[in-house]
Amino acid sequence: MRKIRLPLLIGLLCLAQILYAQNRVAGKVTAESGAPLAGATVNVKNTNTNVMTDGDGNFSIVAPDNSTLVFSYSGYETVERAIDAASPGNITVALRPVQSALTEVVVTGYTTQTRRQYTGSVNRIAGAEVALQPIASLEQLLQGKSPGLLIQSQSGQPGSAATVTIRGKGSVLGGTQPLYIVDGIQITAADFGGINPGDIETYNVLKDAVATAQYGSRGANGVIVVTTKRGANAKTRFTYDFQYGIQALPKNKLKVMNSAEHLDYELNYDRPDGLNPFGWTTADVDSLSKLNPNWEEAVFRKAKTQQHILSASGGNERTRFFVSGSIFKQDGLVRNTNLDRYTGRANLDHTAGNLKIGLSTTVGYSEFSGTNENDNVITTPLNAFRWTLPYTTPYLPDGSFNTGDVGLNPNPLPDLFLNINRRKQIKGVGSINLDYRLPFVRGVSVRTLWGIDFTDDQNEVYTDINTQANQVVSGGQGAINNNTLRRTRYTGTTSVNYEKRAGDHNFGGGLFTEIVNRTTSSTTFTGYGLSGPLKNVSGITPGTTTNNFIPNVGGTRNAEALISYFFIGNYDYKGKYFVNLTGRRDGSSRLAAGNKYVNYGGAGLGWLLSSENFMQSQAYINTLKLKASYGAAGNASIGDSYEAFEQFGNVSYNGVGGLVLINLKKPNLTWETRRTANVGAEFTMFNSRLNGSIELYSAITNGLYLNRQLSSTNGAGSITTNLGKLKNQGIEVALGYDIIKTRNLTLNFNANWTTNKSEIVALDGNNEIISGISTNRVGERANSVYLVRYAGVDKKTGEALYLKRDGKTTTDVYDPNDAVITGSFDPKGFGGFGTNVSWKGLEFSALFTYQYGYSVYNNARADVENPQYWYSGLSINMLREWKQDGDVTDVPSAFSDFRYATTRFLEKGDFLRLRNVTLGYSLPRSLTDKWKLNGVRVFVQGQNLYTWHSFLGYDPEVASGALTGAQYPALRAVTAGISVGF
Amino acid sequence: MKKIVQHISAFVLAGAILASCSKKIDLAPTNTVNGEKFFTSVDDYEFALTGVYSRLKRNSLYSGINGGSVFLSGVDIAADNFRSGPQNLGNLNTMFRWNYTADNDVIKGAWDAAYVVIQQANLSVRGIDRFRATAPKKVNRIEGQARTLRAFMHLELLRWWATDYDRNSASPGVPYVDVFDIEQKPARPTVKQTYDRMEADLKTAKALLSDTDVPVQSVTSTASANRFYVDSLVVNAILARMYLYANQLDSAIKYSTYVINARPLATAAEFPLIWQDVSSKEVIWSVNYQTIDAPLAREIYRPAVVTEDEERSWLPVTALTSAYQGADVRGPAYFTTRFGVTVLNKYFAKAGVSRPDGIVNFKVFRTAEMYLIRAEALARKNLDQSSLADLNALRTARSATAGAEAGAALLTAIQTERRKELVVEGHRFFDLKRTVRTVNRTQNCSTFCTLLPDNRAWSLPVPQTEIIANPNMQQNPGY
Repeated sequence: MRKIRLPLLIGLLCLAQILYAQNRVAGKVTAESGAPLAGATVNVKNTNTNVMTDGDGNFSIVAPDNSTLVFSYSGYETVERAIDAASPGNITVALRPVQSALTEVVVTGYTTQTRRQYTGSVNRIAGAEVALQPIASLEQLLQGKSPGLLIQSQSGQPGSAATVTIRGKGSVLGGTQPLYIVDGIQITAADFGGINPGDIETYNVLKDAVATAQYGSRGANGVIVVTTKRGANAKTRFTYDFQYGIQALPKNKLKVMNSAEHLDYELNYDRPDGLNPFGWTTADVDSLSKLNPNWEEAVFRKAKTQQHILSASGGNERTRFFVSGSIFKQDGLVRNTNLDRYTGRANLDHTAGNLKIGLSTTVGYSEFSGTNENDNVITTPLNAFRWTLPYTTPYLPDGSFNTGDVGLNPNPLPDLFLNINRRKQIKGVGSINLDYRLPFVRGVSVRTLWGIDFTDDQNEVYTDINTQANQVVSGGQGAINNNTLRRTRYTGTTSVNYEKRAGDHNFGGGLFTEIVNRTTSSTTFTGYGLSGPLKNVSGITPGTTTNNFIPNVGGTRNAEALISYFFIGNYDYKGKYFVNLTGRRDGSSRLAAGNKYVNYGGAGLGWLLSSENFMQSQAYINTLKLKASYGAAGNASIGDSYEAFEQFGNVSYNGVGGLVLINLKKPNLTWETRRTANVGAEFTMFNSRLNGSIELYSAITNGLYLNRQLSSTNGAGSITTNLGKLKNQGIEVALGYDIIKTRNLTLNFNANWTTNKSEIVALDGNNEIISGISTNRVGERANSVYLVRYAGVDKKTGEALYLKRDGKTTTDVYDPNDAVITGSFDPKGFGGFGTNVSWKGLEFSALFTYQYGYSVYNNARADVENPQYWYSGLSINMLREWKQDGDVTDVPSAFSDFRYATTRFLEKGDFLRLRNVTLGYSLPRSLTDKWKLNGVRVFVQGQNLYTWHSFLGYDPEVASGALTGAQYPALRAVTAGISVGF
Repeated sequence: MKKIVQHISAFVLAGAILASCSKKIDLAPTNTVNGEKFFTSVDDYEFALTGVYSRLKRNSLYSGINGGSVFLSGVDIAADNFRSGPQNLGNLNTMFRWNYTADNDVIKGAWDAAYVVIQQANLSVRGIDRFRATAPKKVNRIEGQARTLRAFMHLELLRWWATDYDRNSASPGVPYVDVFDIEQKPARPTVKQTYDRMEADLKTAKALLSDTDVPVQSVTSTASANRFYVDSLVVNAILARMYLYANQLDSAIKYSTYVINARPLATAAEFPLIWQDVSSKEVIWSVNYQTIDAPLAREIYRPAVVTEDEERSWLPVTALTSAYQGADVRGPAYFTTRFGVTVLNKYFAKAGVSRPDGIVNFKVFRTAEMYLIRAEALARKNLDQSSLADLNALRTARSATAGAEAGAALLTAIQTERRKELVVEGHRFFDLKRTVRTVNRTQNCSTFCTLLPDNRAWSLPVPQTEIIANPNMQQNPGY
């Protein structure tokens, strides 16, 4: 009986098409902001007639009278609109983003549910919202877009990755980076620079335990589940996107002395090394003072960015496809740094009866040319250009590099221009999945997904004979290092799933098994003697016993595996009361025998209050859902693949191979477990003009990895042990409000804010574990700043003063025992806010992001305020140095012992950033039709245009808490682009 | 009912798929070896022993790039042999300025690195007793070397951290660690107790090394590739140095004599070749350095082909360079003028190397030191004539002028000779310390010219990390 239903239905539809009068309906689909939505699906309800909107959001469809059109777009609420028989000509539909809409699909990687049903904490960001930003590495696009998601991008180097933290750092020693899942398989975060953000459909940020417990030992730091674009049952649509822009250097608030100032310092500020150490004559001073070469211009440039993306998508009832190709070229602000990326993607879906097959593949080839950053090495160009004397010119009159700095400071330019530091990466991510509905048991399906994340990195470091780096090269005639790294991670997930609806009861569940296996191998060699014309491996001179050109060869090989069994289930009653349950058992190759398996689980409850009868009488609240969850996930991100075992590594002496202990055995090591309790509310109010969510969480990390201090007389100063307990508590708020919502004009404001507070609860008997300038102490925030408090300068002696531990008395004797907690390296709060305005074809949006309540230790400043380096570039602050009895200043005499570990170099990191501004215009349909185009949109945008901060450097966004030196300035760009559909 | 059966069978099927996978998580290391499973034959211990030697090249001991070679450069920078040069990277400034505190990373690096050598020495004999019955002589050879290296590193630690070197001193020595156990938190034994165990280790090592399967190395050969390991001759040299520090003069004379008789001094012609690693004449023990290793004493001076690439952090004071008079072969061997500046030449490069790189073998013990030990011990016993004979024997070998000192002048002359002979071999600061003298710098020393005998800086502070981790640890006075 069931079999004949389908043909019959199709027959009826055919009939309907004949019977009813046909109308061509045209119109436009936009976002609430008025921004056109390209690629939205328009479907005639209860038929197979589909079209997709063009680049302008315009569509045209043939539909019978009195039919209803269904408008859908991923990340937006689906809207139905009946065709007005009187004027079928033009329909404009504005779709609401589903941020709080309960119909949104929640993607957790293993399952999908509607937001209405889901009780966990998941934020979703549509790929289209962020894809235009001219940034290569896709996690950086998410800054300020989701509550609870902290993105700290330390570097503006093209393709560099950001530090991502979800709901506070749950670990002190272990990794705090979330797990990334793309189309069902785990991928390595560091390689995001190799993937085209334009291919991304949604980003889903999993935050609470019912969501993350599904990922067991990998879930504690949160999970970001990325889905890529897929085809639709519609006419094939091509889109070409182009973008071009310019980057410029932000201002460095840490000024170095100019020539006159530096000479003044050399001649008039007494030091242990004596005055006028270079022995300048008055005439020298006169002529040198006039030299103020522009070092910044020698090292930096205005840099170009351009991008081309061509994509096609479409399909029919049984087969759908999405293919794309992209070229991304970004020059870095620092000369000779850049990223060239080429990607291709093909996503395919096919349905054959009960069987669905899906294929997702992408391949990318990227070339990164970089320079060293965030170190304090004198030859690093980003240090050297500031550390050179200000009266040393970059070039000699004949155009060659000037290497004659009298302070013997290296010239950064040879290293920057002549050396090569290039990474060529082939990145492949592919997966295939099968989904088979068992014909003999209703509601049961079997799924399997197998995928691979493959990275092949070829790192090439060429050291030219004429550079500073060549100094430490064996044989001193240049070198070439070639490092090949190949990482393969496969993920295989198989599940049996069951769904059952019985009256008011609705049940779904699955039993899963998964294996994740990663193998990494690398081979490296360094060849020497590149004195000839060839700047690649062909130029290596063979080594002899005397020429010091004997090549260095090495490599590593390791593997790890994770095997898991888990259950994911959901239940709801009357569509008002919801339960989610998950349990997982993970076995890891990295733990010692007997400790290999660890269990995780979570449960969530939800109540859709607005569906209750008593809520129907009021008019303010449209929807309201309350939810709560509790559960545990693990953090396996600690140590290497064999961390639990006593490991001896290879060494050599006198040409003979040997072994030394490199890793202590840890038979009791287990994974950190983060237990999170989450309560929250999601609501829409005032005719759905206001939507928002509030969530409160409290997470406790048990078995916190810490370095248990050992007496170093054992040859090991510490051992990683599960000995602490850390609490993170926070509040997340997200709000959106439609101020104006008319046919032609919309104005919307949105904001999100997160505050997080960490607290060390226990350290297994110890009160405190200090590591350098940070400490973890019971009762205090994790990674608290631990420094001796600087208390200015003794105006009589010029000695630096420090506060004693008691905080009352000052002393000029530096004592490390006087160090106290003076703040935290992790932000107290962060978030973003912005607005979208649209008027007819014009749209404008702005996004601000902010972080506050944290400190940054500015070692880059300390290194230019150390009077011992008088022969190098110095901060202008040094002109305030104490000179004689009575001077009131904050910079001690050069005779005072210089101390790094004091609060003198601790600065506030708070900032407010104008992250993105975009102005766009969609050409009128009348025009594009004439050109036979399917929509044209042009835009101009500014990225990171301005940042308000007081940090003495380029930018206070320093994830590690300390800026060591060599800061690569944050990206700051203006780009313009066009998107054409055809 | 039929449905239930189907459900169950589906789950059973799924379970079967899962169960077969458990073995996939039993992975053994591929880029390292598991120490608990690896050492199954006495030959495996040879690898661990080689590891001990390689640890001697660790940063912060004798070579290093950023760490600072506290046991080599630091010993002379803290004393009166050097002044700040034109391009001072500041890496060992703290040693020059004597302002080290317990949280100093350089000091911590030195303490840790020394104990890492000791750790590896202990590991290289962990469980080796299992093989004593089957391969006794092989075990002797491995254990003898391990004990020697362990004792030697403890002596190195004692020199920096003890406040007093007397054999019977009750002041704190350094923890003597002879077993690998990460949980131990040793207190500081007295200097006397430290010596007791060091002496016992060395005497046992000597006995073991006299009964080995094959000789560790040649005692007599002067080939360039000889003397990279420790044998019973090296044990004698360590004992001679130890007894001099401990003020046990007869024993110092006895053991230095063993060494002097076994490996005579180099001639004036041979002498420069020692420093280019052409000859191992009069070398008792040297640590082998190769191109891939860090340069020695780089904090003081690192040569380069062109002037701007040179790292001239510390320059020798004139009081030292002018002390080599006449035809003294040490002057040109130890110091040279490059690009108009007089710099240390001792660690310049191996012979034949096309570009100097600061990489040569580190001569830990030479016969010259044994002459100076014996001369000093004899002089202290008021045997001035024998003492002077030794002193002049050395002077003559170096083409320096022989002298006729006696009494206090003789002792002073011996110390002067030590300064000239052993510059940047890890002696000067300790020689001043053990003879309770004052550091008197006279050239470019700013406010850091004098270190009086009562200053805390004569001994390094125990690292703050050690004080925190080990409640039994005692800090040195003044820190």
